Amino acid sequence: MFYATLEGLRRFKIPHNFEFISVISLYAKLIRQGRLRVDSSWNKEGLKFTCQDPCKLVRQGLGDVVAEDLRFVIKAVAGEENFVDTWPRLSNNYCCGGGGGALQAGFVENRRRYGRLKFEQLSETGADVVITPCHNCHTQILDLCDYYGGKWKTTHLWNWLEKALVLEDRDETGKE
Amino acid sequence: MDRPKGSVLVVGGGISGVQAALDLADSGFFVHLVEKSSAIGGSMSQLDKTFPTNDCSACILSPKLVEAGRHLNINLLTLSEVLDIQGGPGHMKVRIRKNPRYVDTEKCIACGTCAEKCPKKVPNEFDLGLGTRKAIYLRYPQAVPLKYAIDPEACIYLNKPGRCGFCKKVCPSGAINFDDRPEEMTLEVGSVILALGFRPYDPSALDFTGYKNFKNVVTSMEFERLLSPSGPCMGHMERPSDKSEPQRIAWLQCVGSRDINRACHGYCSSVCCMYAIKQAVIAKEHSKSGNLQSSIFFMDMRTHGKGFEAYYDRAREEGIRFKRARVHTVLPAKDDNLVLRYSNEAGELIDEEFDLVVLSVGLETDPEVIRLCHDLDIELDQDNFVATSPFSPVATSKPGIFVCGAISEPKDIPQSVMEASAAACGAGGMLHEARWTQTKKKEFPPERNVYSEPPRIGVFVCSCGINIASVVDVNEVTEYARKLPGVVFAQNNLFTCSQDTINQMAETIKKERLNRVVVASCTPRTHEPLFQETLREAGINKFLFEMANIRDQDSWVHQKWPEKATEKAKDLVRMAVAKVRGDEPLPYNHVPVTKKALVIGAGVAGMVSALSLAEQGFPVCLVERKEILGGHARKFYRTWHGRVMKEYLEELIKRVESNPNIDLELGTTIEDVSGSVGRFKTTLSNGKNVEHGVAIVAVGAESFKPRSGPWNYLYGKNPNVHTLLELDQRFIKDDEGLKGLKQAAFIHCVGSRVPERPYCSRVCCTHAIDQALKLKELNPDMDIFMLYRDIRTYGKREHLYQEAREKGIVFIRYDLEHLPEVWDDDGKIVIEVEDQIIGKRVRLHPELLVLASAVRPRDDVGELSKLFKCAMTEEGFLLEAHMKLRPVDFATDGVYLAGLCHYPKPVEETIAQAQAAASRAAMVLSRDSVPAESITAEVNPMKCTGCAVCTKVCAYHAVVMDGKTGKAVVDTGMCKGCGACVAACRSDAITLKNLGNEQIMAAVEAAMESW
Amino acid sequence: MQKEIVDLSSIRARVKKQIEGAVPDAKIDYCLTCGLCASGCPATGIEGLDPRKFLRLLVLGQDDEILKTNWIYSCTMCQRCKYACPMGIDVGRIVYEIRGMRPKDKRPKNLQRSCDLQKQSNSTGIPNEDFVWVVKDVLEEVRQNEPQWRDLKAPIDKKGARYYLNQNAKEPTVEPEEMVPLWKILHVAGIDWTYSSKWWDGANYCLFTGDPEDWEYTVRKQAEVVDALGCRYYINTE
Repeated sequence: MFYATLEGLRRFKIPHNFEFISVISLYAKLIRQGRLRVDSSWNKEGLKFTCQDPCKLVRQGLGDVVAEDLRFVIKAVAGEENFVDTWPRLSNNYCCGGGGGALQAGFVENRRRYGRLKFEQLSETGADVVITPCHNCHTQILDLCDYYGGKWKTTHLWNWLEKALVLEDRDETGKE
Repeated sequence: MDRPKGSVLVVGGGISGVQAALDLADSGFFVHLVEKSSAIGGSMSQLDKTFPTNDCSACILSPKLVEAGRHLNINLLTLSEVLDIQGGPGHMKVRIRKNPRYVDTEKCIACGTCAEKCPKKVPNEFDLGLGTRKAIYLRYPQAVPLKYAIDPEACIYLNKPGRCGFCKKVCPSGAINFDDRPEEMTLEVGSVILALGFRPYDPSALDFTGYKNFKNVVTSMEFERLLSPSGPCMGHMERPSDKSEPQRIAWLQCVGSRDINRACHGYCSSVCCMYAIKQAVIAKEHSKSGNLQSSIFFMDMRTHGKGFEAYYDRAREEGIRFKRARVHTVLPAKDDNLVLRYSNEAGELIDEEFDLVVLSVGLETDPEVIRLCHDLDIELDQDNFVATSPFSPVATSKPGIFVCGAISEPKDIPQSVMEASAAACGAGGMLHEARWTQTKKKEFPPERNVYSEPPRIGVFVCSCGINIASVVDVNEVTEYARKLPGVVFAQNNLFTCSQDTINQMAETIKKERLNRVVVASCTPRTHEPLFQETLREAGINKFLFEMANIRDQDSWVHQKWPEKATEKAKDLVRMAVAKVRGDEPLPYNHVPVTKKALVIGAGVAGMVSALSLAEQGFPVCLVERKEILGGHARKFYRTWHGRVMKEYLEELIKRVESNPNIDLELGTTIEDVSGSVGRFKTTLSNGKNVEHGVAIVAVGAESFKPRSGPWNYLYGKNPNVHTLLELDQRFIKDDEGLKGLKQAAFIHCVGSRVPERPYCSRVCCTHAIDQALKLKELNPDMDIFMLYRDIRTYGKREHLYQEAREKGIVFIRYDLEHLPEVWDDDGKIVIEVEDQIIGKRVRLHPELLVLASAVRPRDDVGELSKLFKCAMTEEGFLLEAHMKLRPVDFATDGVYLAGLCHYPKPVEETIAQAQAAASRAAMVLSRDSVPAESITAEVNPMKCTGCAVCTKVCAYHAVVMDGKTGKAVVDTGMCKGCGACVAACRSDAITLKNLGNEQIMAAVEAAMESW
Repeated sequence: MQKEIVDLSSIRARVKKQIEGAVPDAKIDYCLTCGLCASGCPATGIEGLDPRKFLRLLVLGQDDEILKTNWIYSCTMCQRCKYACPMGIDVGRIVYEIRGMRPKDKRPKNLQRSCDLQKQSNSTGIPNEDFVWVVKDVLEEVRQNEPQWRDLKAPIDKKGARYYLNQNAKEPTVEPEEMVPLWKILHVAGIDWTYSSKWWDGANYCLFTGDPEDWEYTVRKQAEVVDALGCRYYINTE
């Protein structure tokens, strides 16, 4: 849980010598620097992507900057035109309802009732893939999709990033 | 020390700056009026209509702007900024930068040819970017000065000399000057008034509003432009996405106000509730479909001004929906519509779809103004408004510099206008020794006697560039005019109003010995005074003039029918000629002024008015019905700023009592009043007669005591139930008993906003909350409950409301359907009220119950108003001449009002109004005589039957029956020339000069000639 | 229908005062009861409550109801209400404090257990050795089956690595193959990274139980591990 560490270090003033970062920011940085080369040409069918802005990472964590990084990476990986944004979005996005321990706490009916809004919002985008950068969001949105009969695939970002990676040896034999 | 300078710098050309400038210029001071943009008018000129009168904003503002623009003693400096101010009261040096207009205002005739040819389009800031303008532009159609300006950032030529330059090529008067450069100047003035206004809050950072994300989410200022006939959709109310007419509009209140989280504006912007209601009402009127559904989402509806609550009531009757709810996020729906999801008080979520969402954005200080104030070392408050004190509401921390309008707190137009006059009073009072030392006086040559001459009429037909000439055949009209009976001269001009044509017109009048003039051109609204002045300069009486309106009422409205328009122009000219033939020279009436003021009522308002005048050297008779000075304020503990009233009041009384110019008449009332502005005669109850030029009515009001009836709440039955002022008495006396109280409760709106007293008493929310805080000071552990309907802590008072919550004072809302129940349980007070949020009844056991009861008008105000021929509102408060722009004048000239008799108001507003009344009164007292109307009614005693109908219809009480002859007589000093008596007279005995049967019938007959 | 009567002879509001003691800027009293929070909260209506009602119960001292309601486990402490609240009231933070007021045995069992396990090592409770073994096993499989990834790395306890990577315990426990894409990405980018064999779990449910000391303990342990390895950056996989 990104926020648990970020806010924990802050709130309890825990001394440390490292810088705490999100893997999403790291992906974006590496792509911008050219250290990670990605190519969206694999997405021939034009799979539509949308994403969840995890509350703990975005609204409570690093703010709109990391949410924009997330979009940047998805667009780089799946193609600019294949990203469909949600509304509300970024720091104002709805919580999926899986966070705050809700997935562990039981109260399944309440949790799904809570998630109804998220389900409707995601369905509205018509996306084929929902990127959930947080484990709680991932589990909850997977469950919402299943329970309410959604049509999308819920995944982490890394699977698609891996798919879009431009590898050195592929370069030699492949396109270039 | 030398005598102070007799001139004042007013910074900011909005309504408050213009009003301050006019007040000063009319009372003997020279004014430099500095405005940053290319035209004066400020935010008010951008509004469509104004509340609560629904007046067209531009229509009521324009005359003031024109007056300021033409005033001999106002130096208008547009496109100018203040760089620096040095010195102190009486002697200040101001450095000003005048930015280039690139258009010579002497030459520009505002024909618009330049803008038509200019190829560069940019977003129009006057329409908040909703429409476009050219790089050479007029800020708005009624702009003063009516002169084009070049936007140097957009202009192609200025950025790449050698390119474009079309405007220079097509300008018929050679007004374009690309070599114009910024100029710096230093002015020496005695005082400065800052009237820099506000800017609307920009909601772009509030992502949840959807502003900038969804086209159909607009700000309230943008919506004003969408409603305005001069706006981007010419008043057709189109929504931005598809130009369709919205059928469902929602307003979201408090965007950028009462928000310490995202907007960082903890204050209330005071005006948004009212403007939202106004917009909802006006939008309904604009709606072609007729079934526009308007919904306002709010926290507290704040309709705390005069006439506001009635406006709110009417809006509800007209079907405007008021939803006590706030929306978290504006959601998109199909067809660019928007969905608002909101929770009602019961906690149920409701989704509603709208075509357009208007964000009721608050007011804030422009960062440039903040910077200027820092540079000038003027103290700002926590909200970046200029800091003022309740006892000197228009003075800044810097002596000699005054403020008025929204620069010191968000406020509406009447309040801004009031403060403008108060600031003028402050500046004028400081400089009174220098009155008339720097002003100019227009001198005219003696007028030729034309009585014996046969009519020699000159007709000037204007092309107005292409405005008229492209539709109307002006040559044909000129030729036609030349042949009309009595016409000896006719001429067509490209622009009759241009300086050289005006000069030539004066020469022509002399050379051709013209004794009547007709100008066929734009509109008398803006241009009649200019042409009339030309007549005077040429030595003939200005009433020998008529105007034929062949632009606004002809070429502009009949563009598609040029031939018919030409015929109509001929008709209009023929009628004007027929009428002018019978016009006679009229006297320039004047009434001599008795330089003394009568002030009635010696509460804070009366005393401040009296002192403001007395300190400028004007004698004042101050009449008070009681034997002591101080009025209501004696019972009042402290202002909401925490300033104890007693200290201020004692000081004020001392100053009044020791001022040699104030003649105090205590224990005295008014018996009789006669006369009119400049020459009133008043009889006092002690038998004395007072002659005075002006009167200020400041007789105060009373607090409502609910001894019986539905709002009784044990008042008078249980000793622990008080009104606000009764609790103030206990604070004043330092009542130890208050400290031990465990629980106290306040009930708001006791006797206000109820059917028998439908207005809001404005002061009670703030007063009650301040008292609750005082109780908390005495005993922090006391539980305090406020039972309220809407909390109306407008402006900076909102901080007090926040502080009260912060200190744990609990606010429980009730409404007329869920009134609190109060009963006596063996001497103990018990209250039950429903908490609508948790849906349960709450039972309280206060040891003190305070009733925030209404402020009601005094019963004897009616008598007084009759004596001064002043009107009253339905509720019994005194009625000003105009609710928006003349908030301290009565319709009767020379009579002014201040304080609670006008409407409930806190002490700082009372003081401002009292100073304003003094400023208005000084405009009369500073002169030896005041001008009176020339076009007045005249009674033919031979025809008068003495029926006295005329005396009843005259709104100005100018017609009276002569006791001796039994015939009606008109007091020309009071007559306004409205003609009501003429129409009412059954014997055809009354005539309006130059508008008699002779002239009117001549015009009508001339009109019929072509039929 | 006669509504329930709340007698306020004196407002005790002990829970509110307790929260204000722990969170000085809780600002509960600032509430304008405008309902903006409730309009935007997905938990509105659940258990008959919403953020506004919840605050109102606190203000009016309805402590029994506050301590009893399970709404505090529907509120995910997501702070969307705070984001737009004109007063900036942090209902999530208040809910956190109230969760902490519940005796441990009255809290949702699985939630408390996840935290208790975390305090020992990780939220799923698998032994640290298992984590190390799974990583090595999965890595070995990739290297063998996918020739172009034959030099893929997944270092553990590599001192002086520039980046430290935590691992949500869900992957090694139930879907170990989900770890691989990230390894590949880091590999391609040439990132010098390492896992730790202790306190490696990126999940942390101690944030949700309401006991700050548990939360602090777990984060402190993570920080110690990372600093001991001498890593410049700590990457969270989220």
